[in-house]
Amino acid sequence: MRAERTGKPARILAVWCPGWPEEDADGAEARAFGHVVTVVEDFCPEVEVLRPGMCVLGARGPARYFGGEDALARKIAEAVAAHGFDCHTGVADGQFAACLAARAGRLGRPVSPGDPGAPGAPGVVVPPGGTRQFLASYPVHVLAAPGLAGQLARLGIRTLGDFAALPARDVAGRFGAEGTAFQRVARGQEPRRLAAGPPRADLSTALEFDPPVHAEPAAFAAKGLAEQMLAGLAACGLSCVRVRVRVTGADGRESARLWRHDGLLSALAVAQRVRWQLDGWPPARAGGDDGPADEAAAGITLLRLVPDQLVPEEGRQLGLWGDDLISGRVERAAVRLQAMLGHESVAHPLLAGGRGPAEQVVLVPFGDMRDPRFPADRPWPARIPPPAPATVYPVPLTARVIDATGSPVAVTGRAVVSAPPDALMAGDSPWLAITAWAGPWPVTERWWDEQNATRRARFQLVTEDGSAWLAAIELGRWQIEARYD
Amino acid sequence: MRKGISQVTGALDVFDEPSADAAPVGAIGLIGNAVSSEVAEALRIDGLSTGVLPVLPALAELLPAGGLARGSVVVVDRPGLLCLALVAAASAAGAWCGVAGIPDLGVAAAAGLGAEPARLMLVAHPGPGWPQVVTSMLEACEVVVVRPPARPPAQIRRRLEGVLRRGGGVLVAAGEWEGAPVRLRVARRSWAGIGDGYGSLRACRAEVVAEGRGAVTRPRRRWMWLPAPDGTVIPDETGDAGRIDFPAGPAAAGAPTAAEASLRAAR
Repeated sequence: MRAERTGKPARILAVWCPGWPEEDADGAEARAFGHVVTVVEDFCPEVEVLRPGMCVLGARGPARYFGGEDALARKIAEAVAAHGFDCHTGVADGQFAACLAARAGRLGRPVSPGDPGAPGAPGVVVPPGGTRQFLASYPVHVLAAPGLAGQLARLGIRTLGDFAALPARDVAGRFGAEGTAFQRVARGQEPRRLAAGPPRADLSTALEFDPPVHAEPAAFAAKGLAEQMLAGLAACGLSCVRVRVRVTGADGRESARLWRHDGLLSALAVAQRVRWQLDGWPPARAGGDDGPADEAAAGITLLRLVPDQLVPEEGRQLGLWGDDLISGRVERAAVRLQAMLGHESVAHPLLAGGRGPAEQVVLVPFGDMRDPRFPADRPWPARIPPPAPATVYPVPLTARVIDATGSPVAVTGRAVVSAPPDALMAGDSPWLAITAWAGPWPVTERWWDEQNATRRARFQLVTEDGSAWLAAIELGRWQIEARYD
Repeated sequence: MRKGISQVTGALDVFDEPSADAAPVGAIGLIGNAVSSEVAEALRIDGLSTGVLPVLPALAELLPAGGLARGSVVVVDRPGLLCLALVAAASAAGAWCGVAGIPDLGVAAAAGLGAEPARLMLVAHPGPGWPQVVTSMLEACEVVVVRPPARPPAQIRRRLEGVLRRGGGVLVAAGEWEGAPVRLRVARRSWAGIGDGYGSLRACRAEVVAEGRGAVTRPRRRWMWLPAPDGTVIPDETGDAGRIDFPAGPAAAGAPTAAEASLRAAR
């Protein structure tokens, strides 16, 4: 546990690699950040990953060994940079200030009024006790609480210094527990007082695998294990700030890593972090001729989740609909289905932006958080007008469209139709006479991007059976993109 | 206990307010974790009204129960707009909706009819284990839409019907399902707003037929706008099969008179 015990504020060193994406699609970036963490772990085994691109560690112990906080910050930054990553470090009281200090190094922000600040410094060290002063000039918007920051700004409290100067009792009265926590942050203290002493009961959960398993089944088991751990914590009215994932291999190797939790991660989110960690689990050593035995040696025998830094659970207000319960029930079913069919097979849809119907929906695997690449609320000129089609073919059907003479209908470069379309053959269906049609609606998209460029003309066609189709011609080939009824 | 919960439900008029976000949070949330979770769980069960899940008003009179009867199978001829319209109202009222075996589902169209995409769970390719997939989905979702393979064996049908009766879900089968109490299909339809090289698809007048056993031995037929120009589904009272009184082209900027009148009636 950090130095809170001694009464002094915790000294935290933050390692920041700029330009790391927050949450990427397949976790590849998160895995790549594992390399950075491995480098940092050479200095201190207890490294806590806040998110890909940012990790923190307690600075007091390693600083004593490596010759001071300045030297430690510089050495870590250099070691990470030697592996080809842009890296900045910062030391301050508390994690929040340390993260800002790491960023300050890059921006060349002065640490104290007398200090000119060195642009691009690999490490910035805020002296002990100087954290409140260091934070004072930051705007309140750096607090990760947009609502609170907006309220403060409207009240004329624009910097963390102003906020920290307010009487704590008044802040608690006006902004509640959240406000108090953030004011403690602004004062350079830990946001919440840690529950004193070690946990009374062992709240960690573990699962042994016999025979040893590979990363994928282990990551899967982590979902159930995380649920157990969260339920155990909830039964004690506790919540954890961090969770330590400890994996033991059949050959005795061990991988342990801390992940930020803050009582906010669902079981599925914890499992995702286990997956990230296990993705870095080295596969069987190459060159082993004795096949199965070697494979078994590379397996995982024990997975343990340990809640770290317990804090009293202050409770979240459930919605009237019991959102938590329902999402829990749905999450469980989704997890079961994913166990059966694979992670990618169970999806939930997101509405996205685009001109064609296929681009307007993005399917995201259940449990993943992802924002559509193109938001839906932007103007999309030349978008197909509503109503939206009821059937959108993931792979367009090949089609043929002919005119009254039986020759294929074509569209010129200037969007002129060769002849009115007369009959349509969609996929394997028989020829259908076209009773009404509209188009061509030419669209040229992303011509600057060779792989995704499209240049097509769209038509709406109504056939004799009453069906309505969205057809497109591209490079002389007809396709059915969607069907309306 | 149950009775008490129903009273709470009634008092808050939850179901007059389809959006879950807009539901009043404070009243029950303040009671505390244990009680509120109990209430919420009961709301979920009692919740989307006892016995019958809501459907769009235009479809209500085609179904014997006036909605999707819990524990029953409803068959639609194919996974098209009618299928989406059938589940839209339940989804809007807060039900989770699972969809299995329909990779080409038009999510935007479902959203346009009122369904909530955030409460959709899609399994595009359930494979040969589709009955197990449907069973798992029914544990979480009030409504499950499935495109069964051609002629599902009677044994599998009976097993799933048993799961439905126990769990109280609704299965919408887009395809064949022998012995289902209700079977809906679009018999005829005509599109409006599109001409010979001009305009665009704006609305569709469709005759929906409900056939089946029991209460629906005689087929019921209803004309409706599926969809109406504003994207909703509303009954079309004109009833004249051959006539389309929907003006085409850009002159029809507003909703047409017939549709407008029936829309007002629906509201």
